[in-house]
Amino acid sequence: MPLRILHNDKRIDEMKEEVDARGLACPQPVIMAKRTIEERGNCVVIVDDEAARENVCRMAESLGCDVRVEEKNGAAYIHISRDNVDKVWEEKEPSAGPTVVVFPYDKMGRGDDELGMLLMRAFLHTLGEVSPRSDVMIFFNAGVKLVTEESEVLDDLHSLEKQGMGILVCGTCLDYFGLKDNLKVGVVSNMYDIAETMLSAGRVIRI
Amino acid sequence: MSEVESYYVALFDSTSAALLAEKFLKKEGILFKIIPVPHHISSDCGVCIRFFSVEKEKVKNTLRDKVDVQEIRPL
Repeated sequence: MPLRILHNDKRIDEMKEEVDARGLACPQPVIMAKRTIEERGNCVVIVDDEAARENVCRMAESLGCDVRVEEKNGAAYIHISRDNVDKVWEEKEPSAGPTVVVFPYDKMGRGDDELGMLLMRAFLHTLGEVSPRSDVMIFFNAGVKLVTEESEVLDDLHSLEKQGMGILVCGTCLDYFGLKDNLKVGVVSNMYDIAETMLSAGRVIRI
Repeated sequence: MSEVESYYVALFDSTSAALLAEKFLKKEGILFKIIPVPHHISSDCGVCIRFFSVEKEKVKNTLRDKVDVQEIRPL
């Protein structure tokens, strides 16, 4: 384990990976910074945009990193250190177990259904591309409309299932909506499985 | 849809323009997918429409004079 590194230690700064995100628009600086933190650890992210600066700082802090901003040549040099991260992470780590994403509704968020559907499609596309991966998805109530015939996200769900994602679908709900014969992806499940899966999960994410 | 196929994306100035474009493309029976604007392209944090390269002209013609398309470019 490396020793605790002080922020004003110049020699350490020189060893840090530099990420030049000047002139890049949202969310590029955040993505680049996150990837570098994950792959290389400590780094300096250079941005010249107020929103990018705030977003990068917020992301790094949410990962438990120490963040220090230095203004230089009209840009912000964000020094990110994850030396204390492992400790923080251990404290925050939920009980081990699968990550479960639950879909109680066929739209993402409430307010406007057309927008909600658009967001849901973008979300399910993205789930297949980002890490960390989730392990199980549970669809209930109107959420079952996402796994049945008329759904516009079947391709994404099929490919997630192929990648090993468990897809549980509430049988009661399929029955209620008259969609029992229209299931296109996942397995019909019951409240025992659903409750057990949620209760043994490392974390449950509700969409 | 195979990943080795090459894609184009249509970018829009607004989410409502993307939704409007979706309606026209659907009507034409063009295969497409709504995806978040890829990180390496992103001019904002919105959604865009991805389609197979071979559909490029068809998409252009379908949306011409109907929807404000910011850009159509390879993915």
